[in-house]
Amino acid sequence: MKVTNDKIENSQAFLTVEIEPAEMEAPMEDSYRRLSQKTTIPGFRKGKAPRAVLENYIGKESVLEEALKQLVPQAYEQALKEQEIEPFAQPEVKITQTDPVIFTAVVPLAPTIELGDYRSIRLSPDPVEVTEDNINDVLEELRHQHATWKPVDRPLDYNDLAVIDINSEVGEKPYVKKLGAQYQVLRDSASPAPGFAGQIVGMRKEEIKEFKLTFPEDYPNSEVAGKEASFKVKLSEIKEENLPELNDGFAGQVSPDFKTVDSLRDQVASSLRQRAEERVNMDFQERLITTVIEQSQVDYPPVLVELEINRILNEQARQLQMTGRGMDEYLRSINKTEEQLREELRPAAAKNVAASLVIGKIAEAEKIEVVDSEIDEGIDNMTGGATDDKKEELRKLLDTPQTRESIKQSLMTRKTIERLSEIARGPAKAGTRAKKPKEAKK
Amino acid sequence: MHLYEVLRRPLITEKSTKLQTQGKYAFEIADEANKPMIKQAVENAFKVRVTGVNVVTVPGKTRRVGRRQIQTRPWKKAIVTLQAGDKIEFFEGV
Repeated sequence: MKVTNDKIENSQAFLTVEIEPAEMEAPMEDSYRRLSQKTTIPGFRKGKAPRAVLENYIGKESVLEEALKQLVPQAYEQALKEQEIEPFAQPEVKITQTDPVIFTAVVPLAPTIELGDYRSIRLSPDPVEVTEDNINDVLEELRHQHATWKPVDRPLDYNDLAVIDINSEVGEKPYVKKLGAQYQVLRDSASPAPGFAGQIVGMRKEEIKEFKLTFPEDYPNSEVAGKEASFKVKLSEIKEENLPELNDGFAGQVSPDFKTVDSLRDQVASSLRQRAEERVNMDFQERLITTVIEQSQVDYPPVLVELEINRILNEQARQLQMTGRGMDEYLRSINKTEEQLREELRPAAAKNVAASLVIGKIAEAEKIEVVDSEIDEGIDNMTGGATDDKKEELRKLLDTPQTRESIKQSLMTRKTIERLSEIARGPAKAGTRAKKPKEAKK
Repeated sequence: MHLYEVLRRPLITEKSTKLQTQGKYAFEIADEANKPMIKQAVENAFKVRVTGVNVVTVPGKTRRVGRRQIQTRPWKKAIVTLQAGDKIEFFEGV
């Protein structure tokens, strides 16, 4: 056996292995014996046909193929030993020649990560700001949500709620046909057609109006885009929006917990602040990780990215399954082939891989550890939603080595990111650890 | 009867491949063929020398086709012994 190590590139070793004919004999004989046991050749009982007959019957290539199935992995192992290569994942083996047998193997090697001086990164989260305007916007929205609709007797205006019978056709085909539909007249509503709202504004109660509208070329519904539709609308009722006053009573209406407008306002402000903080925090962590990756030299075999893409796709497929749609249907709806989707996911996947490698390395460098009790806590959190009698059962179900490992991984990541944030936020004191890690939302 | 019609096909079975080690080859032959004809046919076709010919009539067998019983045709088999050292390459694993 001759092994040559052609080159090492992208954390991949390219091996070429040549198997000498003499080494082929035993595996070929082995392969013949196995094949003859399961091939029926007319005139022979199973396993009784001589080798020459079998080779003629199923072809010499099949025998060779069967032999290679066993021989190649063996030869590969041996080649690795000879070259002293530690594989990181499954190799990509390609048989290039059969006489003598030569195959090449692309062996993914363990990624090499060289961290930059991540301790010198100084980043801080954007300041969180909740302005009076933000709060007022939310309050305004709340008023709209709790608005009451009162029938009025006046021409229809924007922001009213109209009860209409609508009958429309595009060309000869019926388009929208509804009786007693509630339609909120919004100035820029594109439903059922752009400009529809403008047409019916000013109508009086019981009035019937016919008009034509042309759909724009870029209308989402391609069946009607660019076509003319004729509408016939009968207005049967007009309702006006009555916004509740912003007073203590309204606060109570939103939730009985609020006694006064001020307490409602406080609650809105604090929840806005919390949300903004979360967003800022996530953004901050994202930036931090990007910076760390940029600083580091990460070299990993491309298989990792492929695996990550597979993982993402699987995740998506699972979610789609839950919504009752299959992956195929989804692909059709976004009008893409799986290949294209994979291509699209590639940059994100590459980043994920780099991030997880870098974080793993930092965890190592910073000696971040997850202790068993923390894992237990993680499992407890997962069982949190169940009732007491189910809890123990669920706990047993979850307490498997796999779950423990995955919890450990995610805790590890979280802790590492926290540590990174700490370092980035201020002058790092070696060995300090946050006593109470904040719940960083992923 | 033409010489070419004598040999129908070579018989390659467990038994016949075993016989090949003794320089004996088996054929399915035409029903009307006789030993001299077989000898000549084999010698012509494979350029070998034949020292002996044995002929067996393989009896037809009763087979069931659905509810009916039918008789398969009897056929003739010849086992040809070649002079020591001669070989029919054609048989080398067909």
